[in-house]
Amino acid sequence: MTKHARQYGPFASIIATALLASAATPAIAGGVTAGTLIENTATANFDEAGTPRSVDSNKVVVRVDELLDVTVTSLDTGPITTTRSDAVLTFEVTNPGNGSEAFLLTANPAVAGNDFDVTVRGVAIDSNGNGTYDEGVDQILTGPLTTPVLAPDARVTVFVLVTVPDTAADGDTSNVQLTAAAVTGNGAPGTIIAGQGQGGGDAVVGSTGALADARGVLSSAVASVQLVKSVALRDPFGGTSAVPGTTATFTIEARVTGSGSVGNLVVTDAIPAGTTYVPGSLALDAGALTDAADADAGTASNTGGISVTLGNTAAGSTRRVTFDVTVDQ
Amino acid sequence: MKTVTTFLLACAAAVSLTAPVAPLAAQTPAVTVDGDIKSEKTVNGADGKPAVELVEPASFLPGDRLIFGQNYKNASAEVVTNFVITNPLPEAVRLAPDADPALELSVDGGKNWGKLAALSLKNSDGTSRPATHADVTHVRWVLASIAPGSSGRVAFPVIIR
Repeated sequence: MTKHARQYGPFASIIATALLASAATPAIAGGVTAGTLIENTATANFDEAGTPRSVDSNKVVVRVDELLDVTVTSLDTGPITTTRSDAVLTFEVTNPGNGSEAFLLTANPAVAGNDFDVTVRGVAIDSNGNGTYDEGVDQILTGPLTTPVLAPDARVTVFVLVTVPDTAADGDTSNVQLTAAAVTGNGAPGTIIAGQGQGGGDAVVGSTGALADARGVLSSAVASVQLVKSVALRDPFGGTSAVPGTTATFTIEARVTGSGSVGNLVVTDAIPAGTTYVPGSLALDAGALTDAADADAGTASNTGGISVTLGNTAAGSTRRVTFDVTVDQ
Repeated sequence: MKTVTTFLLACAAAVSLTAPVAPLAAQTPAVTVDGDIKSEKTVNGADGKPAVELVEPASFLPGDRLIFGQNYKNASAEVVTNFVITNPLPEAVRLAPDADPALELSVDGGKNWGKLAALSLKNSDGTSRPATHADVTHVRWVLASIAPGSSGRVAFPVIIR
């Protein structure tokens, strides 16, 4: 039976600890919940003419007011590298106050010092709570942009959906500022908003002013393509003159610069008039490509010219397409 | 001034007669106890030095310091003896760290009493630790007697949890 006692012993003490903790400490970091009544009554015991008597004081009741506070944090680990397209900035809004409160959100893309300003497409709430924006799942706010009502100490992830303009050059940065303000009101710390607190008390602006902001940073990564074409001639006599029968080898260098990458890069060229494509001469980076439209990246014909599909190409890389033509008689 | 959220519930001084056989004029108790909740404000006194004044609290926020006071008065013509005022602390407040160290306190719901420095609590593992201000459950004052017509005030500071 001592074995049983040992088994249950720790269990019972855990329960006891939990009960003690709930009585001795506030339920939340922000303190006693707004609207809680503090009721104080004292009791006096005394002897009156030898008879023990007891009398209670009046009951003094005060109501805990609501402290309005808010914090906003950028959850992005660093600048969001983006191309000229859509990007998502992630923020967290926390209610450190002692009452349930919603917060009005404002996303400002025009921050002083920006190299470019994005367009804000929308502000969304992380409805499924996974920390990542899911199109069609996470609710895009409409009308007044307000968070759901956050319980004391609760937090919510907010996405700011932006579009990067075409004017953004490689390496340019832009700040987007998200501001959250308590719906009940904000102002200088200590400002009292009479009767507006949760539970019927006043609302009192806390040390944050009930208004906070944070910035997310975008870094524009733009890749650009430069094509450089050159020709080498080899005439039938071993020279480099352009005469009928001369073979001309064209080289097209696709140089991708900047940062990031370009997508769906295709290099095409026509066969010059008065020349004829040399079948089987098409090559990419010195590797031969077949002329037919097949699994490899290239096609070539006298009438259609040449086409080489390079696809996604990272900045900093150079691809070299070569093909031969002969000068017609 | 805060009248909306401060209700001074009209003296519903519940009289509990512990001596049922009492044909005496004991219907009204000899002593009345009138409580209040104030906050302290430092003002410039008449002599130009800072003085602390009790005022109606402007707000009641977590972390705010309040003064719980009890004003007692012996309105009868008799001396009352063995006078003890006991004030249980509402759960939402804790005794302020700057409370008078001489206050007689309980950390176990009023079973055992003493100065804070002499009180301890049992940990779940059977060891004990010194009690802290946040552990205090009751405050009390013991007076040997109150002369007819005399009155007084006892008070202690608390902080809203």
